Amino acid sequence: MSFELVFQQALNGLSFGALLFILASGLSLVFGMMDVVNLAHGAFYMLGAYVALSVVQLTGSFWIAIVLAPLALGLLGLAIEPVLLRRLRGRHLDQVLLTIGLSLVIVDVIGQLWGREVRSLAAPPGLDGSVTLIGGVYPVYRLFVIAFGAALAIVMSVVYRRTKIGRLIRAGVEDAQMLGALGVDTNRLFASTFATGAALAGLAGVIAAPVFGVQPGMDTDPGLLYSLVVVVVGGLGTLSGAVAGSLLIGPADTFGKVLFQDVALAVIFAIVALVLLLKPTGLLGRIRIAR
Amino acid sequence: MGGFAKNELAAKRGYTYRLTRRQLLVASSAAALAACAPAAVTPGASPSASPGKAFKLGQLLPFTGVYAELGNSMRRATELYLNQHDRKLANRPVTLVYADDANVTATGVQATQKFIDQDQVDVMMGVVPTPLAYGIRNAVHAAKLIFIDTNAGGNALTRDTTNCTPSCKSPYIFRASFSSYQISYPIGDYLSAKGTKEFFLAYANYGFGTESAADFTTGLKKNGGSTTGNVAPPLGNPDFAPFVTQIKNQPTKNVYSFFSGADAIGFIKSWNSLGLPAAGYKMYGAGFLTEQDVLKEVKELANGAITSLFWAVELDNPENKKFVADFQKQYPLLPDVFTVQLEGEVAALDEALKTLGGDTSDKDRFVKALEDVSFKSPRGDFTFDKATHNPIQDIYIREVKTQNGQTVNTISDKIAKVTDPGK
Repeated sequence: MSFELVFQQALNGLSFGALLFILASGLSLVFGMMDVVNLAHGAFYMLGAYVALSVVQLTGSFWIAIVLAPLALGLLGLAIEPVLLRRLRGRHLDQVLLTIGLSLVIVDVIGQLWGREVRSLAAPPGLDGSVTLIGGVYPVYRLFVIAFGAALAIVMSVVYRRTKIGRLIRAGVEDAQMLGALGVDTNRLFASTFATGAALAGLAGVIAAPVFGVQPGMDTDPGLLYSLVVVVVGGLGTLSGAVAGSLLIGPADTFGKVLFQDVALAVIFAIVALVLLLKPTGLLGRIRIAR
Repeated sequence: MGGFAKNELAAKRGYTYRLTRRQLLVASSAAALAACAPAAVTPGASPSASPGKAFKLGQLLPFTGVYAELGNSMRRATELYLNQHDRKLANRPVTLVYADDANVTATGVQATQKFIDQDQVDVMMGVVPTPLAYGIRNAVHAAKLIFIDTNAGGNALTRDTTNCTPSCKSPYIFRASFSSYQISYPIGDYLSAKGTKEFFLAYANYGFGTESAADFTTGLKKNGGSTTGNVAPPLGNPDFAPFVTQIKNQPTKNVYSFFSGADAIGFIKSWNSLGLPAAGYKMYGAGFLTEQDVLKEVKELANGAITSLFWAVELDNPENKKFVADFQKQYPLLPDVFTVQLEGEVAALDEALKTLGGDTSDKDRFVKALEDVSFKSPRGDFTFDKATHNPIQDIYIREVKTQNGQTVNTISDKIAKVTDPGK
């Protein structure tokens, strides 16, 4: 591999990783706070992409979609938590089953409303061109994705560390029951956490649509599959874990697929297996088993 | 038997089985319909033909999962054909039984068994993915059920193979679509004969993709052509930039690819955003790379791509013009290649039933009648190869162009009567 090629593939890997971070951050947040492995996360991601598709068709603006789709998903999350998930609090397996059911329903509703054809979304004007970098032209949109992912990580980290809601989240991750005993309304906190997780999935759907496309099946691959891989490798429930996981998996997947194409799919799962063997909590995770 | 078990179960659970008002309604209206049905059919049936006993046609298609839209396309074609023919094939009124394989091989195998045992269909059609076609091969062969493959293009389904691995031809299996050889070998042969001899390969890394790449390479080599390397993303790969980056960093400018659906869209979009057209790279491929489902999303980004297939919307023959017009009258969209595959299949069955006078009691005569069908279809002259039951068909070389704001496959050349080698 020449230097130019390595440089371009590193950019590909980095932008893929940035997308994975946006995708996985919501799953990680919900798990950390609520102890719920939300297997409907991929379906939320898919729904975000389809909502964006309609918004772009109606308004012609990608930027309106980037606001409206996460908002719509946030509202959906806000409804689902108290109506369905809250009834099963503490019953982990039932919650997981519920989220699987949810994902099946959402995917079928999408099929009914939007059809089952393969669709795609164009990058917005201004970001749809290319710039010349080392080794040739490179799409501006992918550079935007890297910047967006980095900005989101910084914003989330500031919220975590510097704001009241961030303190509540960190306390909730530590011990939600104690937080309730101290007088915090955990019902409200959980509902808004779940809504935020869903909104982040929707945001990922919009940002990823011009790169990954919009089609049946996207809920599992890349949706749920890659977000699970990222949070398992990075560590469940922490922001730094989601960052570390996506920074490792993005480039590893990119280089793995072109260097070892006959075992392309195995590369990232080999990493998952290795991490679980050597550090079962993930690179930066603090999973509490059997609490 | 089923009803008895249900009653028993109900009794065990402590409640009695009663006829509800809704069940009564359903039952009585069904009886009323049954009473009406013969009266409705009789005037249409010609006195000379054998009585119009219902012809049961089973179709195994994906209506959910990633290939759902293919299933929908095929259903549209079936319904269109039957509506145009008074819901009859020859003199037999058709009862359709649809089953959904959801792109899961196990589900499809089960549904096939149901067609055989429970529904006892007269003919089975359908099957999109090749692994499913291979998976049901032995079951339909053993049951002597006539199965006409709608899409699955794996070469082995209509060939002689060692130990029938992974599959092999059967007297009861016909294919109305194509073999991967037919959409890959001729274009390799054609391009190398015209003097374009060096190609880099890019194909989805699964059975059909590797088969297509191999057949294309064989075609190239016939005229001294060769391949210089390959990239092979997994099927359904989300991000194509890494693979297109690899293509851009190697010197062979002509790239033959096998992708379809979402993969094709991802490939073509990455191809453009990474600047390959400006760098002098040229896209070639098996026809699915630039079919309607892909073109309507990528539009002029696919311009200049050269592909081969047995059909195109723009194909200029009276049957195709009528087919495209009729289809658009019933549905608000253009027909795609999958509707053409299904149309050919139902039409072939219709022809065979006509020669039999609707009498399907002798299985060998039925097979013989299918082998002998010959008619003009939207794709051109349609016949089955008697040796393999694969269609003998013209393959068109097509180039993507944007004309009057519409991006279409224009026909640039034709390779007549391509036959699968069968071995």
